[in-house]
Amino acid sequence: MAPPMIGVENLAKSFGAVRALDGVSLSVAPGEVVCVIGPSGSGKSTLLRCINFLEEPTEGVVRVGGRRVGFVETGAQVRRMGGRELAGLRADIGMVFQLFYLWPHLTALENVMLGLTEVRGLSTRAAADRAKTLMHKVGLADKMAAFPEHLSGGQRQRVAIARALAMEPKVMLFDEPTSALDPELVGEVLQVMEQVARDGMTMMVATHEMGFARRVADRVIFMDHGRIVESGPPDEIFDRPREERTQRFLDKILS
Amino acid sequence: MNIDFSTALPYIPILIKAAGFTILLTLTSQFFGTVLGFFLALGRTSRPGWLRGAVWFYVWVFRGTPMLLHLFFIYYAAPSFGLTLDAIPAAIIAMSLSSCAYNCEIIRSGLQAVHHGQVEAARAVGMSYPRIIRRIVLPQAVRIVIPPYMSNFITHTKNSSLASVVTVPEIMLTAQTIANSTYRVIEILTLAGLLYLFLTSCLTWLQLWMERRTTYERRGLTARRRRQLGLEAA
Ligand SMILES: Nc1ncnc2c1ncn2[C@@H]1O[C@H](COP(=O)(O)OP(=O)(O)OP(=O)(O)O)[C@@H](O)[C@H]1O
Ligand SMILES: [Mg+2]
Repeated sequence: MAPPMIGVENLAKSFGAVRALDGVSLSVAPGEVVCVIGPSGSGKSTLLRCINFLEEPTEGVVRVGGRRVGFVETGAQVRRMGGRELAGLRADIGMVFQLFYLWPHLTALENVMLGLTEVRGLSTRAAADRAKTLMHKVGLADKMAAFPEHLSGGQRQRVAIARALAMEPKVMLFDEPTSALDPELVGEVLQVMEQVARDGMTMMVATHEMGFARRVADRVIFMDHGRIVESGPPDEIFDRPREERTQRFLDKILS
Repeated sequence: MNIDFSTALPYIPILIKAAGFTILLTLTSQFFGTVLGFFLALGRTSRPGWLRGAVWFYVWVFRGTPMLLHLFFIYYAAPSFGLTLDAIPAAIIAMSLSSCAYNCEIIRSGLQAVHHGQVEAARAVGMSYPRIIRRIVLPQAVRIVIPPYMSNFITHTKNSSLASVVTVPEIMLTAQTIANSTYRVIEILTLAGLLYLFLTSCLTWLQLWMERRTTYERRGLTARRRRQLGLEAA
């Protein structure tokens, strides 16, 4: 078996007295698509944010592409990564946020380019060319010169996906990418994500879109109170959950 | 009361020279005050508590005491600590210290107005802190900060008249001296007022220009930028 693309061992994260993650272990194979579901406050966002070290874990080890996240291991010694090392690591981990977080002072194309010029060191022209390819890919070829405030939510999220993909990351993390969208705009974003999955990207997606999870996920993880309650192929989780808590959650969300 | 500008007019060149000192004091101290204020604002919004605390303390002291006192302190009290300064450097230092405290707070308000999520998005693509400040935070903060910053700049320009107390021959001190020797108080003060009004009008105009330059969304990309990006004209 290939070594996992994402490896999480015994991950815990506390915010003061709140135990947002309480001993989470999982591994994601290259090209695998994992959907994370669970009630609000169950720790989905925290899990994703620990994977690219936007949140520093209280305990546990995270590896992406075999590399320890946030720390450098030399023999028996472990030290915290410096700002530059962390930045280099994050460049290989794409992240898409619920609220898009496009940079409003830049056009859509420039949003997609910025990481390429600032982090990957591409020239303006080369970055623009790659960014254009991605804008085509997410179906926004006609919106390259538009500023975010002139885009719909669905278009903004597609730009955000293009921005993350432009870095050619090893994995993509999606934190409820469609939760802030009007229902009629959800489809266009999910479609792009499906395409990304078909292209072989390793993905972790926190989502409430059960239809998407069923269609696209290789595996679904149900979380509650900072723990993984159960995980398995989508039809197993959705049709024959072993845990009562999973069943109750699904009843509530599908009703 | 008779108003007669004919005795006052010959003093115009002297007043203009005095305005030169006003400009020198204001621009240099505003320059230092802005650069230092920017770094203080970064410190004030940084993680380490001691740094935030130190900056807070600085602002507390220098915004909470009159600039007149800073001027006196640096010019008259500093020699007892073995530091003797000429009037102009002393005034520039005192005015910079004061300007810096206000600009720190103004710039901080701009930095903090940029949503934290945007900074996270930049960290997530692997941008380093200095690049995030330069490419994401500053361009947006500048626009937010222009009105309060320029307001403070104008106040600072007028406050440079306080430097008269440490013998810098700026507009107010010069006007007073001329008025005392010519007894043309009204005329000389009017001229001084017009000079201040001219200086602050330049700043008002500068503000308009800066505000117009930073409304990119409405105007879209410049032709030059479009060429760089290889986009056809809209
Ligand atoms: N920065 C923070 N400071 C304090 N508490 C936090 C912070 N971030 C998350 N938490 C807490 O950690 C727990 C897990 O939150 P998390 O955001 O990971 O849940 P979630 O599953 O993503 O929920 P949602 O579906 O609402 O997005 C919650 O109790 C939350 O209040
Ligand atoms: Mg969440």
